[in-house]
Amino acid sequence: MKFANLIFRNIFRNKLRAFMTLLLLAAIFFLVATLLAINAAFERNDTGGTGDRLVTQSAFSLANMLPFAYEEKIRRVPGVVDTAKTQWIGGYYKDTRNNVALMAIDPNKVESVFPDYKIPPAELAAFEADRTGAIVSQELAKRWGWKIGDRITIKRQIFPFDPQLTVRAIHHHPVQKSAIWLQMPYFQESIGNFGRSDMIWLKVAKTDDMPRISQEIDALFKNSNDPTETYTEKEFTRQFVSMMGNVKVLFMSVSISSIAMIVLLAAITMSMSARERVTEVAVLKAIGFQPRLILTLMLTEFASLTLLGGLIGIGGAVLFYQSVDAGAATQGLLENFRIDPQTTTICVVLAALVGIIAGGLPSIRASRLTVVDGLRRVV
Amino acid sequence: MDTLVTIDNIRKVYKRDAFEVPVLNGISLEVERGDFLALMGPSGSGKTTLLNLIAGIDRPTSGRIVVDGKEISKFNETALATWRARHIGFIFQMYNLIPVLTALENVELPLLLTKFSKKERRERARTALNIVDLGDRVGHYPRQLSGGQEQRVAIARAIVTDPSILVADEPTGDLDAKNAEETLELLRRLNEEFEKTIVMVTHDPKAALRAKRTLHLEKGLLAEGQYGHAVEEVAG
Ligand SMILES: Nc1ncnc2c1ncn2[C@@H]1O[C@H](COP(=O)(O)OP(=O)(O)OP(=O)(O)O)[C@@H](O)[C@H]1O
Ligand SMILES: [Mg+2]
Repeated sequence: MKFANLIFRNIFRNKLRAFMTLLLLAAIFFLVATLLAINAAFERNDTGGTGDRLVTQSAFSLANMLPFAYEEKIRRVPGVVDTAKTQWIGGYYKDTRNNVALMAIDPNKVESVFPDYKIPPAELAAFEADRTGAIVSQELAKRWGWKIGDRITIKRQIFPFDPQLTVRAIHHHPVQKSAIWLQMPYFQESIGNFGRSDMIWLKVAKTDDMPRISQEIDALFKNSNDPTETYTEKEFTRQFVSMMGNVKVLFMSVSISSIAMIVLLAAITMSMSARERVTEVAVLKAIGFQPRLILTLMLTEFASLTLLGGLIGIGGAVLFYQSVDAGAATQGLLENFRIDPQTTTICVVLAALVGIIAGGLPSIRASRLTVVDGLRRVV
Repeated sequence: MDTLVTIDNIRKVYKRDAFEVPVLNGISLEVERGDFLALMGPSGSGKTTLLNLIAGIDRPTSGRIVVDGKEISKFNETALATWRARHIGFIFQMYNLIPVLTALENVELPLLLTKFSKKERRERARTALNIVDLGDRVGHYPRQLSGGQEQRVAIARAIVTDPSILVADEPTGDLDAKNAEETLELLRRLNEEFEKTIVMVTHDPKAALRAKRTLHLEKGLLAEGQYGHAVEEVAG
């Protein structure tokens, strides 16, 4: 396009102003890309699960545990293939920054209920045989140099004990990259045989039956001291997220107000920039530039400016989260966090729109300016 | 010589709120092809207004303006813009170059509206800059040029499309005596050597002496001036 040079020069007409605007845009779009990508990650709810699992927990809260006896009752509900009671323990390795997702499970249930952890059979057998054995993720093993047979100590988070474990197996879960399993009996014994756990997982024969099964389970315990709530794995994660407050709404509103703010600031900058050029625009029109061409040139200029700023911010965010372990920084909540392609696309479109919306009025005004008024500078 | 511009009984009235300001009160005028016309008159007499009408950037309240056989007073905005791009070269008092473009790019600007290739555009712009004797300043930005040089770049921009008429509104109004002299000499050359028709508004009687013909505008009416064909006298 033969006007590219003119547009480019006009963008950088005032170097400091262009630089500040770009910086601001980049910062805002870094933030917005981050927030939208977190929302998208929550939305996807990608647990890497098998799709045939339900989870039963207390209807009150996760902190309210369910009696072990529930497992057998749930097991007898038609359509349930197998069950596994688990307990979230949590903890960290060496330093509080190094959070791990430590969980307890009956060792014979790992393969039948959680086949997605992909554990070599020999290693799994070794885990089952060792009361203080552990199944660690290959990512953790790689990070800390753990090998089969190594002794590791996980520091306490909730419960009053620091599990002393021997690495017996390495799992290869696509998502749960900071997960460590230990044996339920070892955990129970360490906290005084409590006889309760916070979750009971169950595998169903047919996924179509899931709604009926969860209703039946919850009906079983409706009038007990410990009523239950049964979810699909996806719902469970979603519920876990909303437990931390309505993060999504918060992030959305922060994103929207950031964009609104940047539109306003850009509008001020662009009106200033357009106003300074009143005479020049009049000269271009005198020379024969049509109003429509003036409008196109200015809108392209403003949209290019915001697009460039946006691209710097979004690109920065993409690279930033590639090099930073967001999973470790957020205690496993944002495992494998990336700015996803959809968020990238949305942000890029938003960035261009900011320019078009903010620069719309000044551009239209400039395109409507009459040559005579512009030359006399009566506007 | 044939007639290039015919102005037939035009009136121009500006409306400001409830007031009507009559500026031109029935002016008729003919400009020959190849003429060099100076428009003089007191401030506020309507010189710029008349020039703008001839250049097709403003329209009369009534009356006809015919340029090169086209009745431009009947054109709409779009048609006028297209027409100006082909037929008019503008020279302003304040030069009005685009500060972010080099001399060459400024001169090339009107050619962006033509079908010429980039190479042809650059060639023509270079030629125009050579004519105004600035072939060695192509890469300079306006702020790196003197006022006189800026005005010459502006003149190059005005002639690069080979327009039928050059309109100049006080082209020397912002220049010192020497640069004014050079600019006027350049306009005279364009008129004589390149046979450009020029309509120039000026306050400066010396500038008017360069023109072939001078008209006085007073209270919205025209009077033939006392200067004309006097270049040699001034030069001598
Ligand atoms: N857009 C406008 N609205 C109202 N009045 C205007 C407008 N443009 C010009 N005028 C008036 O028309 C009259 C003529 O203006 P014009 O600019 O043509 O004068 P001029 O002869 O070029 O003056 P100068 O020598 O000072 O440049 C002035 O009284 C001016 O105030
Ligand atoms: Mg004037």
